[in-house]
Amino acid sequence: MSAAEDVLFELLHMEIVKTFTDSKDKDDAASKLEYIGFTTGYRFVERATRETNRFKDELDIMKYICKVFWVSVFKKEIDNLRTNHQGVYVLNDNNFRFLTRISSGKQYLQYAPRFVTFTCGLIRGSLANLGINCVVTAEVSHLPACKFQVQVQRG
Amino acid sequence: MAVSLTIIGKENSPLYIWMDEGRDSLQLQYLAHTGLDVIQEKISVGQKLPGDSRELYLGLLYASEEYKIYGYTTNSKIKFIVITDVTNAALRDNEIRMMFRHLHSIYSTVVCNPFYVPGEKISSQ
Amino acid sequence: MSRQNLRAIDPKKVSGELFTLTYGSLVAQLLKDYENVEEVNRQLERIGYNIGMRLIEDFLARANPGRCYDFRDTADKIQQAFKLYLGVSPSIGSWSPGGDEFSVVLDPNPLTEFVELPDHLQNLRYSNVLPGVIRGAAEMVQIEVLASFIADSLKGDNITEIRVKFVKRLEDAVPAGED
Repeated sequence: MSAAEDVLFELLHMEIVKTFTDSKDKDDAASKLEYIGFTTGYRFVERATRETNRFKDELDIMKYICKVFWVSVFKKEIDNLRTNHQGVYVLNDNNFRFLTRISSGKQYLQYAPRFVTFTCGLIRGSLANLGINCVVTAEVSHLPACKFQVQVQRG
Repeated sequence: MAVSLTIIGKENSPLYIWMDEGRDSLQLQYLAHTGLDVIQEKISVGQKLPGDSRELYLGLLYASEEYKIYGYTTNSKIKFIVITDVTNAALRDNEIRMMFRHLHSIYSTVVCNPFYVPGEKISSQ
Repeated sequence: MSRQNLRAIDPKKVSGELFTLTYGSLVAQLLKDYENVEEVNRQLERIGYNIGMRLIEDFLARANPGRCYDFRDTADKIQQAFKLYLGVSPSIGSWSPGGDEFSVVLDPNPLTEFVELPDHLQNLRYSNVLPGVIRGAAEMVQIEVLASFIADSLKGDNITEIRVKFVKRLEDAVPAGED
């Protein structure tokens, strides 16, 4: 059984998703969910890195996101991190918590995007505050696994 | 206590400036500005000074005849600069470090206010 | 990454802050979407109501609180739930003579840990999700209540106080399972 405060966070997330996907301006739902994640991540990482030593480089920051950050938010590490060393990072979570409550099966796959958008924003906001501007997208092909792709914007 | 405190944003614009009344503000601003240059040098990418602990507290940046200038940086690229009197012997390295950590804590609280827009000047007490 | 960076921060504290910050982002977004602050208050209460309806299931499974025999039991359980989910122990008091109304006093209110309310938002009930949660959770155990803020330290009051009023038992609803 997950910790009580995590259940509360999960329920809040679920209600946020519902509130914006059910609202009259559905089209904006994704960008609003992403933005709510962005501002949350931006602020959260400011608190969370207070006791953290200065990061060495971009890879050091990505490792922090995959380990410490992911554990703080989702109580597990990212299962696999890959990079092409040219600013593209792929983070695999084989058991992404916001997807574990959706029944697996192809017919439910279409609902997956709304449950990962907040987290795309969460990653983008955290990295933005740590000095990395990027675009974050997610791909779900097998529930409840999720693949987040971070594309760093240089220049 | 310190005679001046400056908080400098990601793009090196000041977010907050406080100075002890009756001091030469132009001189203190100049010292802080020079301090910022030293910080930039210390944290520049690829710079691997031997024995660098990668601590957020950067220690004494430099000293003038009258003042000591200390620096601190957050992982979010915010810089804090504190200036003290050279003659102030009560403030040891560890006290300065604690002062910075306290400042950092306050700063992170300000950022977490949902009505604060990051990068804006800080008006809160 | 250096070893020191892997040092554990108190996970309970971190989870609590994550909830607080996510909630703050939600409030900020709703304020952008609705011009009317009253509507934002209503939305926050509705979101709380929905959370409460689901949270009660978890609470019953986790805390095994037993049956509520009277409204005083209900008050105790609300206090217990605040401790469990938000890590704070509110005080319960100011009972009405008839025993059908009480106050939940929050000190501190974890939702407002970082919040400074701008002057133009004095009508915002920032933490309105909380009375919503109480109403939603109570309804699932066949108790209809009214819950609302009557004092808020964000607005300069000395305390943050939610007033909970018993309305009626929902006898006609789905019967509660036998214990």
